[in-house]
Amino acid sequence: MGLRWYHFALWAAFAAGMFLLPEIVPRGTLRTIIFANFLAIFAISWDTLSGRTGYVSFGHPFLIGIGAYTTAILTKRFDVPVEISIPLAVLMTMVGGLIVLLPALRIKGSYFALVTLAMMELMYQLVQVIRPDLTGGTRGMSGLPTLTRGAVNGFYMSTALMLSIAFTTWLLMKTRLGTALSAIGMNEEAVAGSGLSVTRLKLVAFTASAFTAGLGGAVYVHYLGSIAPRALFDINFVFTIIVAALIGGAGTTIGPILGAFFLTFLLEYLRPWLPGAERYLIYGGVALVLYMYQPKGLIYLMGQAVRRVRKGAA
Amino acid sequence: MSAHLSIRNLIKRFGGLTATNDFSLEITPGSSVGLIGPNGAGKTTIFSQIMGEVRQDSGQIALDGLELTPLATARRIRAGVSRTYQVPRPFAEMSVAENIRVGLMPDNIWSMIAQGPDPDRELELALSVGFTKDQLEKLPSELSMGDLRKLEMARTMATGPRMMLLDEVFAGLTVGEIAMISGLVQQMRADGMTFLIVSHDLKALEPLIDRAVAINHGTLIADGPYDEVMNDAAVRASYLGT
Ligand SMILES: Nc1ncnc2c1ncn2[C@@H]1O[C@H](COP(=O)(O)OP(=O)(O)O)[C@@H](O)[C@H]1O
Ligand SMILES: [Mg+2]
Repeated sequence: MGLRWYHFALWAAFAAGMFLLPEIVPRGTLRTIIFANFLAIFAISWDTLSGRTGYVSFGHPFLIGIGAYTTAILTKRFDVPVEISIPLAVLMTMVGGLIVLLPALRIKGSYFALVTLAMMELMYQLVQVIRPDLTGGTRGMSGLPTLTRGAVNGFYMSTALMLSIAFTTWLLMKTRLGTALSAIGMNEEAVAGSGLSVTRLKLVAFTASAFTAGLGGAVYVHYLGSIAPRALFDINFVFTIIVAALIGGAGTTIGPILGAFFLTFLLEYLRPWLPGAERYLIYGGVALVLYMYQPKGLIYLMGQAVRRVRKGAA
Repeated sequence: MSAHLSIRNLIKRFGGLTATNDFSLEITPGSSVGLIGPNGAGKTTIFSQIMGEVRQDSGQIALDGLELTPLATARRIRAGVSRTYQVPRPFAEMSVAENIRVGLMPDNIWSMIAQGPDPDRELELALSVGFTKDQLEKLPSELSMGDLRKLEMARTMATGPRMMLLDEVFAGLTVGEIAMISGLVQQMRADGMTFLIVSHDLKALEPLIDRAVAINHGTLIADGPYDEVMNDAAVRASYLGT
């Protein structure tokens, strides 16, 4: 559990490797990586709450949506500069998410999942009904200010954001707080029986998760320059986030990143053969097989491979 | 580090079943009380009410004069009372050391983040309940029932209680392990710890207590020196057939 120098060396190597990619891979691949980066951010956010504490959220697009819509409305309708609108969006996600989902954190298991799913659907309906002049209704909004131009800059921006979120989350989860959150996922009663306020811990996990979701969502709309509610509040989007975390390795930080990259590239390579929604069927199948083969995810399989190589070398 | 526990007129019903029936008990600081009774008598339910895991329908529970009833479990533990579970509840994917670490944590988010774990204290607690140093990195799935009970003890002790509630700590233990845990309880008693102990193993229980309290169907039927309680007609009847 402790921090070791090689942990930091590995992070540095990972970052260096990522930032070298524009020199070696084609533009198209960089674009795919940008999406993988954002999916990784969302998967890390999901994992901070659900992967650790076991409170499965089916409504992460709800949180991402608060961040995305807040900054979209502020910049588009009120000409607020992004440097101000993005932090406001993050704050709004944490506060708004807490107000709505706080009561849900007291309920356990599948009910929590259901409530979060309902929140996502509710938000989809609300953006169409309430002030469509602000939200853009069903069509969403376009022509939002973008943070970068071109694939290379977009790549650097999204990679830097993903890496800083991943590293910060990793550091936080390495502390005793991370241990306590994982303990909730294993046995909530025993955490309370160890003298810890479980509700407060869940609140912290939720707030950290909302922070990441809001930040990711806000930056994402300013990468795309547009927001489309049907794509955002989509059950496929929820599943992609959850599946990324699960097949990569829930309860870890690198796992969701691995899963996000694996899924994004899988979908991308399937595109020429299966242009439509059937792709999701294939990827669902692949995810299921992988998950059944190793529920601890890709990160565990990689660890196994490393251990095997080490044994061979010794 | 002693504590005074005072339970007054505790009542708990589960539907039609009265699990705790107007139960009262005083435990003076530093003393050790054995709570006995047949299966289903309501012993564990009393523990759960003391800890706030089960809410009583009526009655009071106070620790050193502090009324526990409005407090959440975590607050009660901070007030100084802690329990072991009849069925051990380890964190399945955490090592022995990490399990103890959770018990040692302060209930304060900032110090959880800012201060690292205390491996020396984790080791000290593990050794004190009879683990060997090389067991520290073991997972619960690799432990025997005896080891799981020791872990349960260590995590409970880690919360820094002045009063400990032990629920069937000897069940599933070898003779050697029973002697180990008994020795540990004796040592803590000498240091002033207050105990309430449930055990079916009366032979192991007897030397650890100053006094015995017997219940049946949630009702107190005898309270006094161990020998007296064991010779009580109602107690004998309750054990023979209910
Ligand atoms: N949560 C519960 N819901 C319903 N009945 C319960 C519950 N917990 C305990 N009981 C019942 O209360 C009675 C006392 O149980 P318990 O306190 O576990 O007994 P003991 O520990 O003395 O064996 C039993 O009849 C048990 O079935
Ligand atoms: Mg019991």
